[in-house]
Amino acid sequence: MAMLIPYGQRVTPDDRTVSSRGLMRPRPGGRALRLTVAALLTVWFALPLVPLLLWFFADRWSVPAALPTEWGFDGVTSALANGAVPAFGRSLVLALVVAAIATPIGAMAARALTRGAVPFPRLVSGILLAPLALPAFVAVMGLTIVLLRARVPGVVGVVILLVAAALPYTVYTMRVAYAAHDLAYEDEARTLGASRWHVLWRVHLPLVAPGLARAAFLAFLVGWSDYVITVLVGGGTIVTLPLLVASFAAGVGNDAVVAVLSVSAIVPPLVLLLALGRFGRRYPTASYLHGPTASQSPKGSP
Amino acid sequence: MSPQRRHRSGVALAITSGLVMTLAACSAPASADDQSYASWDEVVAAAEGQTVKLWMYGGDEQGNAYVNDVLVPAAAELGVTLEQVPIADTPDALNRILSEVQAGETDGEVDLVWVNGNNFGTGKEAGAWECGWTDLLPNMALTDPADPLLLDDFGTPVDGCEAPWHKAQFTFVYNSDTVTDVPTSLDELLDWARANQGRFTYPAPPDFTGSVFVREVLYSVSGGYENVPLAFSQDDFDALTPALYAELQDLEPSLWRGGETYPQDSNELNQLFADGEVDFTMTYGPATLTELVANGTYPAGTKVLTFDEGTVGNASFLGLASTSGSKAGAMVVANLALSAEQQAAKAEPDVWGQFTVLDLDQLSDEQRALFEALPESPVVPSYDVLSENANPELAAAWVTPIDEGWRQLVLTQ
Repeated sequence: MAMLIPYGQRVTPDDRTVSSRGLMRPRPGGRALRLTVAALLTVWFALPLVPLLLWFFADRWSVPAALPTEWGFDGVTSALANGAVPAFGRSLVLALVVAAIATPIGAMAARALTRGAVPFPRLVSGILLAPLALPAFVAVMGLTIVLLRARVPGVVGVVILLVAAALPYTVYTMRVAYAAHDLAYEDEARTLGASRWHVLWRVHLPLVAPGLARAAFLAFLVGWSDYVITVLVGGGTIVTLPLLVASFAAGVGNDAVVAVLSVSAIVPPLVLLLALGRFGRRYPTASYLHGPTASQSPKGSP
Repeated sequence: MSPQRRHRSGVALAITSGLVMTLAACSAPASADDQSYASWDEVVAAAEGQTVKLWMYGGDEQGNAYVNDVLVPAAAELGVTLEQVPIADTPDALNRILSEVQAGETDGEVDLVWVNGNNFGTGKEAGAWECGWTDLLPNMALTDPADPLLLDDFGTPVDGCEAPWHKAQFTFVYNSDTVTDVPTSLDELLDWARANQGRFTYPAPPDFTGSVFVREVLYSVSGGYENVPLAFSQDDFDALTPALYAELQDLEPSLWRGGETYPQDSNELNQLFADGEVDFTMTYGPATLTELVANGTYPAGTKVLTFDEGTVGNASFLGLASTSGSKAGAMVVANLALSAEQQAAKAEPDVWGQFTVLDLDQLSDEQRALFEALPESPVVPSYDVLSENANPELAAAWVTPIDEGWRQLVLTQ
């Protein structure tokens, strides 16, 4: 951003300055179209959930009835009897651990790649994206043996492989974030005497927070939804929600249980998605960029 | 009910077997010599305090409930902690064992697996199973030593590599409210399908159930199972299968949706039957029918079809992983699962309704009384009736060529 900025003017691209630029100004009719598309998409994504929610409370639902023929909580009872609660807890912990490890690694790799601090950047990017191209099953078959030989405990092995599976998403998301990230803010803060840590906590992280949140969300989803790695590498030590869903979905007459398990599997990602909406706005905490206000102004300044 | 299903397994097993063949040269499975037992007393003593993981297909809620509510507490009384690992597909367990075999693991995560057929045969070739241990089990005395279903598992000799658990009988099921002229042989069933367009179909092989149906048709067009050698040979295949594929090609236009599409697996066929789209379904687990009718999944008029020439029957087993570190505990569980009390409890229709592997003639009067007290099901006849003239299963080597021929000659024609 090599724009000449008149002395004293803030460079914060806030809503007012953005919307007043010609190219960014919404055109008439665009808003109505956007709303329609958004509404249609919402319906498109929500529709499949309707029968799922109905099955949640259905003890019986025989064709051709349009609505469940008998309401009740058999599905919930079965799910609880088959250990849905501990499985939910295990899934949650696993997904959070994967997100907690894969997000910072992805961020560091993306920052290094973006700054050009990595030799053979194309090769390194390729390696980081490789897990996307490889069918999970093939990779897992070989890696299980390697991990067993190395005497790696099942749970640790699952986390390692899931982090590897989540890295392409976190790296890619963070590369997008860093491509739009202006290092000048950090240099400016260093010039003004802030320590490296201070810059990281007060300038760097707040600026890339939305990207971090998105990356963590994707990494969470990888850990939250995995079946193959959890079964083969975990060796049955961690029975997670996807294991229960898969084994019940493989049978007939289990619709109510599968519905209950699936709905509970949708809840955490949904909650996170809503939380993302809050993080999605830039500069949620970067109030220090808005210059000194009256209350914070040092004594003696005009 | 059989623990073997789905065709992803075929691919998975192929990959695994390939891995095993490739890597067998570089690794020698460690022999767990500290786990060989000379007598049952030694086994019981060693089993004390061990934890046993039973990997089994978890899509059958009654099965999960039986294991967790009946078998687990009974094992706990014997000092063995039993844990069920529910999986969507039996090859998942096999793949895990084979990985452990490659890694020379001697205290693996799989102890027992509910298994039969192809999964057993493939695993046996690859050294996944501990063998020759079932002679130690006292309760093996309650089974018939000459029972063909317990000596050969789909043409693979059992060789004491797995302990019998239950028996299954391939069963055709129909809706008696809509089917008035009930077929009494497979030939008549196919004629019924031609006369009632779109009201019958079968799952596409290599789905387990669809694959068995095709083999039933092979027996039928060959004039009975006696005319099909159980061991595979290319000459027999070339001589016998043209009639089979001609029959199925001729049947195709009369099937559900004109045979343009087939249910992908037995679940889809069951769903079509439950929804009243077709009038027949077929299953290896007729025991679950009682429950499916009672809870309204299947129509109230659901009945079992019995054929004059009989249908295919088999047994399923508990395999003991060669990489298990709790072999004594696993043997104690397998023996417990074979006890008259457990077999009778498991046969209760509202528990799991699985047919026993025990020979009632070998039981004491008390033990036999347990089975005689079992309630009659309104839907499913007793195992004696169902398994009358039970046909043997063809060797696993038949299955792939027949399924492949079906894909080329029936599906894509």
